[in-house]
Amino acid sequence: MSVITHARGKSRLAAMIDSAGGVSVGVALAQARENIEAMRAQAMAVVDAQIVLLEAVPKPASIEEQPGRIGEAYRAANGVIDAASPFELLDLCRAAAGLCDILDNAPSDRPFDWRIVTVHARALKLLQTLPLEQADSRAAVLDSLREVVERKSIPKPPVPDR
Amino acid sequence: MGVQFRERTLSGVGEALRESSVINLTGAVTMVIDDSPFGLDLTCSALRGFGIRVRYSCHSAAAAMEILADQPIDLIVVDCEMPTVDGYELVRWLRRSVKPPNAMTPVIMTAAHMRRSKMLEARDCGANFVVTKPFSATTLLERIVWVARDTRPFLEVGDYFGPDRRVRDTGPKGEERRAAAIRQAAFVAEQARAAAAEAAEELQ
Repeated sequence: MSVITHARGKSRLAAMIDSAGGVSVGVALAQARENIEAMRAQAMAVVDAQIVLLEAVPKPASIEEQPGRIGEAYRAANGVIDAASPFELLDLCRAAAGLCDILDNAPSDRPFDWRIVTVHARALKLLQTLPLEQADSRAAVLDSLREVVERKSIPKPPVPDR
Repeated sequence: MGVQFRERTLSGVGEALRESSVINLTGAVTMVIDDSPFGLDLTCSALRGFGIRVRYSCHSAAAAMEILADQPIDLIVVDCEMPTVDGYELVRWLRRSVKPPNAMTPVIMTAAHMRRSKMLEARDCGANFVVTKPFSATTLLERIVWVARDTRPFLEVGDYFGPDRRVRDTGPKGEERRAAAIRQAAFVAEQARAAAAEAAEELQ
């Protein structure tokens, strides 16, 4: 296959980043963090709303309906990560990412065990209500979810013939 | 004995991103595309902290396409997951269908979760960088500085048009922060531990 190389000149962005003026990296980051922090309350409202949406996704009534429902649940879990990740709510993000992984690998030819979605929605709700200081309780929630993820996402080796 | 002083540097771009180094992004014509109003606000707020006034904030790829067709843009930050036309499709269109300079505009894609089925698309669409969340101001600024200084030529190979992907290890160095890579590493480590435990059990 032929490869055509297009040499690039210095982009406008490259030229301007080192031009006179601007701010120090330290100041830029401090400002950005302050701006992000100002959105914390809004982010928590978005997380709550996404969990409600996740809980509300009905179990698919048929295989034909399944991809659409899985897509809805995936978008809600994705929304949780979107809103929670800038605020370092890592356990919420891990729980939501675990669900995204499972939904992304969900079978299209056989029924998906919808209890996984229900369990994750409840766990996310619990993580939202548990105080951050209760690290052990939060970790326990994640541990139980991890078990679900492992059971559902790791292909079991075939049973050897005896 | 003298006091050792070491200036704090940010992982990723080493000397170039010292906290005391100065960057000027005030004139960058920037476009942010995200279907989530909150995601859009958040990215614009972070960029505002860096001195970037976002010129175009778009809720859909279609809205972005109209602008990209005739307005020069210096930096694009686009969410991967969007309904109808997603981020990958938008970047592919930008690279293949728009005339320079926009066809070569630095593009940073953001993803809350990277679908396994989309990994190849992420590699092949022509973006300069895909940032998986957790989203942090540091990560975003590192990537912006990195794409600004990215000198890789653009390649046209079959359907692909974008930065040369053959160049290895040119991305930001430092601690791994990509959620998918961290999860993958944790998964591999867990598998290795389980295999080792199984082997030890068999030996006993």
